[in-house]
Amino acid sequence: MTPIDFEAAYAPLWAELEAVVRVAETRRKFDGARLATLYRRVCEHLALAQARAYPIHLTQRLEGLTQSAHRLIYRQHDYGLARFARLALVDFPEAVRAHRGYLLVSALMFVLPLLAAGWAAYRDPGFILHLLDASAVRQFDSMYGDGAESLGRTRNASDDWQMFGFYVMHNIGIGFRCFAAGIFAGVGSAAVVVFNGVQIGAVGGHLIASGHAGNFCSFVVTHSAFELTAIVLAGAAGLRLGYSWVAPGRHTRLEALRLAAHHAVVIVYGVIGLLLIAAAVEAFWSSARWIAPAVKYGVGGACWALVLAYLGWQGRPRAAAAAAVAKADEHAG
Amino acid sequence: MRLDTLYTAETPEGIALSLRPAGLVARGLAYLIDFAIRLGIFFAISITAGMLGKMGVGILLISYFCLEWLYPVVFELTRAAATPGKRVMGLRVVMDSGLPVTPAAALTRNLLRAADFVPSFYGAGIVSMLWRRDSKRLGDLAAGTLVVFSDQVSLHGSVPAAEPQAPARPLTAREQVAIVSWAGRATRLTPERFDELARVAEPVLGPDTSGASASQRLLGVAQWVLGRRAGADARGAAEGRGP
Repeated sequence: MTPIDFEAAYAPLWAELEAVVRVAETRRKFDGARLATLYRRVCEHLALAQARAYPIHLTQRLEGLTQSAHRLIYRQHDYGLARFARLALVDFPEAVRAHRGYLLVSALMFVLPLLAAGWAAYRDPGFILHLLDASAVRQFDSMYGDGAESLGRTRNASDDWQMFGFYVMHNIGIGFRCFAAGIFAGVGSAAVVVFNGVQIGAVGGHLIASGHAGNFCSFVVTHSAFELTAIVLAGAAGLRLGYSWVAPGRHTRLEALRLAAHHAVVIVYGVIGLLLIAAAVEAFWSSARWIAPAVKYGVGGACWALVLAYLGWQGRPRAAAAAAVAKADEHAG
Repeated sequence: MRLDTLYTAETPEGIALSLRPAGLVARGLAYLIDFAIRLGIFFAISITAGMLGKMGVGILLISYFCLEWLYPVVFELTRAAATPGKRVMGLRVVMDSGLPVTPAAALTRNLLRAADFVPSFYGAGIVSMLWRRDSKRLGDLAAGTLVVFSDQVSLHGSVPAAEPQAPARPLTAREQVAIVSWAGRATRLTPERFDELARVAEPVLGPDTSGASASQRLLGVAQWVLGRRAGADARGAAEGRGP
């Protein structure tokens, strides 16, 4: 078959695909089955044209046509609520449990510096000045002092909505950076996690030592359930990124990095959710003075239990389903 | 050594998509355009939010967050798969398998901007883009995405009309391809250069009888190779001998 015969025989088909693609690109409703059929036929024609070295303008036309059809056919559609629910109820907690090793390392890197810095700041009133300058320390003292209108804020700039905006921007930004910095062999994530641990521990220790224990603890107890877990989770996701190319196993380094990012980003979805909750709680609940500390401790404890239980058990396959799968495996084996 | 940066991705249908990764300049300009747009939106919001008092400050901070982190993600998940800046520069984001970009990949590549930004003003990202043939920054490496030019360039047109002429000797497949490719470039080359190239193929043209130029005669050969024959419909004659 000569190129001229080829073009004459199949040009109507190509024109039809062009028309279908144009409709599909602009409108919601189109004939998907016809599109797929035509696409496969034209792929065949392109392969023939390339193998037979037909004129370049012909193969280029087919290439362009197949590319735009390919784009339409493999477009993702499932952005809906069901996908979102599955993410929150199954995928995220499962991803967290799948990374339990990284999670342990990240948690230790957060908690140990936190306790050490907290103890040091508690014992030595001057320790905090190694980390913060005197004016910042004074500000913290006034934020948690008994005279403060609402807890955890400076006196002049304080509105619930304003603080909510600030927490969203600041805390989620830290979470994202903590994840992203992991690509540098995990060092960046580790640094962010340790730094935050030291900072929070030192401020906490200092405030407890200077007699603001009640105010400080009742302020942080609720939102810390979401915020601190989120930071640790972001750190774990970052460590996964870094570890993947330090020790790629049986993949190339790039392939390992890509796989790691694919799995770790599910955790980041959850981190966004947790930090949004934390920002709302911190802005509207934690700072409120009219709520008795005892209530805050109760709600805070419940939140901690809830978050840990959610991460530990939510989305596990039910025992019955697991047994069924095991049985099926047995039969298959 | 390869001169171009063409990137081919194979599809399940067994064809190769050719993608043209965009380099530093196109992407840098797209970034600057996006930056200007973001700045404009931020100013517009700050003017309206300023009237809302402290709640307005909260809205402003949240919109700052959205513009910084989510703006590219949202636009890259639209049908154009590109932020407005990228669209102006004719770019789009695809997976390096040639597939449309997935939500997870769009989020990953844009979160890792923070890593690309290190040590300052996208230092790491620029080094990575200049280093690699496919111009991926760190975010693209982790997400498995590519930023490509969305439009095809066509350097070859159709073969100009000419009276079909049989070659003086049988042509190998490679010679046939070379002659047809040459003919496809008729509109892009100057007539002198076009003719000069045609004279390289003098041996297949045979003795000059009509007094036509070398390029006219070689175009005739190209038409003959494509399957056209002198006179009326002579398709049968070409059966099995086309390239």
